Amino acid sequence: MAVLELRDVTKVFPGVVANDRVSFSLEKGEILALLGENGAGKSTIMNVVYGLLSSDGGEILIDGEPVNMRSPRQAIDLGIGMVHQHFMLIEPLTVTENIVLGREPGRLGVIDFALARTRVVELSERYGLKVDPDAKIADLAVGMQQRVEILKALYQGARVLILDEPTAVLTPQEVRELFAVIRSLVDEGLSVVFITHKLEEVMAVSDRIIVMRAGRVVGETRPEETDDVGLARMMVGRDVVLRVEKPPSTCGDTVLAVKDLHVMGDRGLEAVAGVSFTVCAGEVVAVAGVSGNGQTELIESIVGLRKPTSGTVHLKDIDITHAGPRKSIEAGVSHIPEDRHRRGLVLQFDIAENLVLGDHRLPPYAKNGIMKPKVIAEMAEKRIADYDVRTPSVSVLAGNLSGGNQQKLVVAREIGREPMLLIAAQPTRGLDVGAIEFVHREVLAERARGRAVLLVSLELEEILSLADRVLVMYEGRIVRELSAEEADAETLGYYMTGGGGDKLAADGVVPVMGGQQ
Amino acid sequence: MLDSIITPDLFAAAIRIATPLALAAIGGTICERSGVVNIALEGIMLTGAFFGTAVVLATGEPWLGVIAAVVAGISISAVHAFASINLRSDQTVSGTAINLLALGVTGFLMKLWYGHPGTTDQIKTLGSVFNFEAPGGGVLAEVWRWVNAILFTHSPIVYLAIIIAIVAQWAVFKTRWGLRLRALGEHPRAVDTVGVNVARGRWIAVLMSGALAGLAGANLTIEQVGSFTENMTNGRGFIALAANIFGRWTPIGSYLASLLFGFADALQIKLQILRGVINVPPQFFQMLPYILTVVVVAGVIGRAVAPAASGVPYRKD
Ligand SMILES: Nc1ncnc2c1ncn2[C@@H]1O[C@H](COP(=O)(O)OP(=O)(O)OP(=O)(O)O)[C@@H](O)[C@H]1O
Ligand SMILES: [Mg+2]
Repeated sequence: MAVLELRDVTKVFPGVVANDRVSFSLEKGEILALLGENGAGKSTIMNVVYGLLSSDGGEILIDGEPVNMRSPRQAIDLGIGMVHQHFMLIEPLTVTENIVLGREPGRLGVIDFALARTRVVELSERYGLKVDPDAKIADLAVGMQQRVEILKALYQGARVLILDEPTAVLTPQEVRELFAVIRSLVDEGLSVVFITHKLEEVMAVSDRIIVMRAGRVVGETRPEETDDVGLARMMVGRDVVLRVEKPPSTCGDTVLAVKDLHVMGDRGLEAVAGVSFTVCAGEVVAVAGVSGNGQTELIESIVGLRKPTSGTVHLKDIDITHAGPRKSIEAGVSHIPEDRHRRGLVLQFDIAENLVLGDHRLPPYAKNGIMKPKVIAEMAEKRIADYDVRTPSVSVLAGNLSGGNQQKLVVAREIGREPMLLIAAQPTRGLDVGAIEFVHREVLAERARGRAVLLVSLELEEILSLADRVLVMYEGRIVRELSAEEADAETLGYYMTGGGGDKLAADGVVPVMGGQQ
Repeated sequence: MLDSIITPDLFAAAIRIATPLALAAIGGTICERSGVVNIALEGIMLTGAFFGTAVVLATGEPWLGVIAAVVAGISISAVHAFASINLRSDQTVSGTAINLLALGVTGFLMKLWYGHPGTTDQIKTLGSVFNFEAPGGGVLAEVWRWVNAILFTHSPIVYLAIIIAIVAQWAVFKTRWGLRLRALGEHPRAVDTVGVNVARGRWIAVLMSGALAGLAGANLTIEQVGSFTENMTNGRGFIALAANIFGRWTPIGSYLASLLFGFADALQIKLQILRGVINVPPQFFQMLPYILTVVVVAGVIGRAVAPAASGVPYRKD
């Protein structure tokens, strides 16, 4: 018998039917992949199952019993756990506090913190999800936060675990670890719904695949019956180019020159330890590295969000080392931040407002300090058409868009600004295959127009298909520079994990550019 | 000169003056920790002060007055809770409305019940809890005289406020209620997803802040002044908000910040004796605590981090 079954579940938002008579079931011990374009309704249907959204029709059955899911509390009590696309963690609180929140151990309302901590440690050991129970969430890298989310669901006693794009923020290594965890959960009798845009993950981990498009279930298949090209076609409804072609680069003037940059991280340690490199016009330079090796701090200091302790950053011949975000934007730097919620969007603002952000003071969008709503709306209409942002109108709040469509919004704004330098950190995070293809084409179009692009990505695939040069970052340093021809997944992986440092030294080879001095 | 300014009763006065500020500030802390900004503290305090006085006038029982003040504070804060949680209206607008409402209603009821504006008749007040004998001479006796004068000459709510600060601090950081409260003001959706009712948590916090601000009003009238005067809170609710920020949204921090303001106020009263020596208007000294407020808030506001979701209404869909 199915542990979870949906029958004709419908959910309507103003102007959109997010779920249109969705039916499928999940068997005990099964890993079900839920696949679909950005805005297809995957998160919505799962939020309905989790009791966060109320449905407008249809039935949900747990263990064959129809339930009227009214609140997350009820879902949790029925054994449903969910890791949300945008994490539901409270940054100033500790790992333990986040995990036990809502079911705190203790007596008479007083929390037994020691017991809570023990339980968290036990759980983390049992499932091989290592975390520091006393760390503050704000200090953790996303991969670690992910583990906290999974532990939270397990702590609440989940039998059905819903994972909404859990791998969008993980490195390949972390993805492998996650899959191992998922398999061990299934061995213990849990059932898993797994939402992702990465086709090779679907092929690797799922037992069965449900494909959604425009709110409907459009197909069901099994990994052994299909391949990634087939899946992509099922999802998007057309053939998708999974890897775009790129003509050879024509390197022009130097646009970005970073020299001996040192930057402090949040925890008082030096996160960037003397990095130097250049990016020229018409070139895509990628920074590869396992997350947490200083990429974030490097980018933040280039765009003026973080003060470097020493070193310089030049855009053409302007010194923008201490420019700050506003001057840096005005100088011609665009930035697609790695965390769209933290840095990229104002969720309570509508689409048009988000699209004009940063240029809102400048003509043609404003005159004498007064914004021109009509011009802004026209621009917004054009951008959402160009970038295929799925929304009923430009006055929808950014927070009400699907995760992937939020990402498209940021990309549309930053590329649409026609910058001299585009800094793109995880630009395709959470995008479906069709949208990734589109963004990749846009990035290469920027390159063809003679713009400089600095790409930071955890996706080796993305780096390999876009980059002309790859800088490998490890522990705050650039340990290796590879040309597009030299770079392949294996070589990158080797240097990203600290390989080669010793060997290079033994060979008497000095790592390129700004390495150990 | 100096020893007529730095006297035991300067410090005793600081504690006394700090009490209503601290109670309201702790209320504000709890409220903001839940994600609701309460700029209505001023009006709630005034409401508590009025109804507290009215009940003592009617019954002659100071403690009944204290209870009435708390109940009145809870009742009027319910308006703020309903507006900001259920109707999701702008919390600044709702708070300001309550401040104006409280001013109007108390003034109106003054006239209606007592037939005149201004100040009510004197009421029976709550006096000092302790009454220790001062021993004979010697250094030790002098120390004791100071300690006794500073710490043991106060009325009940003054001690209650200290106890509340300590208990609230413990509750905010050690109990289930406190953990959920802190989470609510940071990320209400996350709290919702673990099955905790956001609206209920915020309601409770707002009502608690109402109770505490009401108690602050009771302290003003039933312990300190002994009568009610229109608009007698005179900006204390706003200073309490500043104390809450300066105290970094913690109960004990709020208490200590209030103590600083209390001290500044006590000092300015003392400094007025200087008026015989140098020629400055009394308003100059009266300004000091408010200037301190501005300086302190301007100084810390960049560094202190308010609860992330403070002031933002939560909607489920
Ligand atoms: N709170 C909301 N208010 C209004 N519309 C919404 C809301 N949440 C989602 N939608 C709309 O419902 C549709 C489905 O969104 P959903 O988030 O389920 O997509 P998704 O399949 O998870 O996409 P993605 O892969 O981008 O995360 C989208 O068109 C979205 O704009
Ligand atoms: Mg989604």
